[in-house]
Amino acid sequence: MIMAGEEEDRQKGFRMLGILDVKTPCAREAVLHGAGGAVVSGLIHFLTTSRVRRSFDVGFAGFMLTTLGSWWYCRTGRARLLVQQRVLQDGLKNKVAFEGTSRDPGTKTPRDPGQLGPPETMNTRDPQSP
Amino acid sequence: MAHPSQLGFQDAASPVMEELLHFHDHALMIVFLISTLVLYIIVAMVSTKLTNKYILDSQEIEIIWTVLPAVILILIALPSLRILYLMDEINDPHLTIKAMGHQWYWSYEYTDYEDLGFDSYMIPTQDLAPGQFRLLEADHRMVVPVESPIRILISAEDVLHSWAVPALGIKMDAVPGRLNQTAFITSRPGVFYGQCSEICGANHSFMPIVVEAVPLEHFESWSSLMLEDA
Repeated sequence: MIMAGEEEDRQKGFRMLGILDVKTPCAREAVLHGAGGAVVSGLIHFLTTSRVRRSFDVGFAGFMLTTLGSWWYCRTGRARLLVQQRVLQDGLKNKVAFEGTSRDPGTKTPRDPGQLGPPETMNTRDPQSP
Repeated sequence: MAHPSQLGFQDAASPVMEELLHFHDHALMIVFLISTLVLYIIVAMVSTKLTNKYILDSQEIEIIWTVLPAVILILIALPSLRILYLMDEINDPHLTIKAMGHQWYWSYEYTDYEDLGFDSYMIPTQDLAPGQFRLLEADHRMVVPVESPIRILISAEDVLHSWAVPALGIKMDAVPGRLNQTAFITSRPGVFYGQCSEICGANHSFMPIVVEAVPLEHFESWSSLMLEDA
């Protein structure tokens, strides 16, 4: 399901090994954040300890953790939005289907759930009476 | 339908296929990270000058590389099982269709209200109209109403076949003498293509499946038209 505003993101994938177009949602951001996390963590470790190999190891660990974290954060947010979108769509569909009936979610007048016609208080009084 | 040199899945046209896509992304990211880790360890092992011939055991790393794979497997298994059971749910279908596999065509029966049945043969390449897809088009499509739960009963008249539509996330074997059941909901209108997925003879590659999802009123007029023609 394509979410609002996602059509531009679907074009923004990245190329892996020069041939594979990866257009999975959140993948590009996760890998970029991971790369940033790797550089930052490796650099900080090197600047504090001056150990090159260990800094590479720390940088790689930073890459793994940052990629995973960014991926999970983005995916759970996206899943939450998808659920909200589905709920909104169902609500809109119900509104269109039941508009003007007693089941219209927009009316505030209490009604019998089994009644499909308009509630008794709305436009049902005799026009002849004062 | 698939585009040339496509490697990934087709866009999802049903909620189940959307879930499958999300699970695939999740599992692929885990696999990607593990592969990167293994590659990094290989490079580190090959490029190190350190050697130690006297280590006999190490409890810490043994614990790590036992517990971590178990955790990863659980992280993969839980969503997988959730989708497995989700795919088995059949919630009050609005329509039941029987799909029967033959050598080498499919036949569809809509027998809920009237007796509607028709065969679906592949359109030969020489008879295709401009814009139609080679080896995928059929003369009669299986038309279904959009956003309605549909139950489909699949069987075969002669040999094994398999009714598969990737965009809907469906693949079910058609076994002679057996009735397999599955259900789907199409999230959007459109035409979805599939191909027979069990070797069934010389023309196994030439018995496609075409599902057309249309609004309910169009489905009603289509079924009336088909009943008149029958």
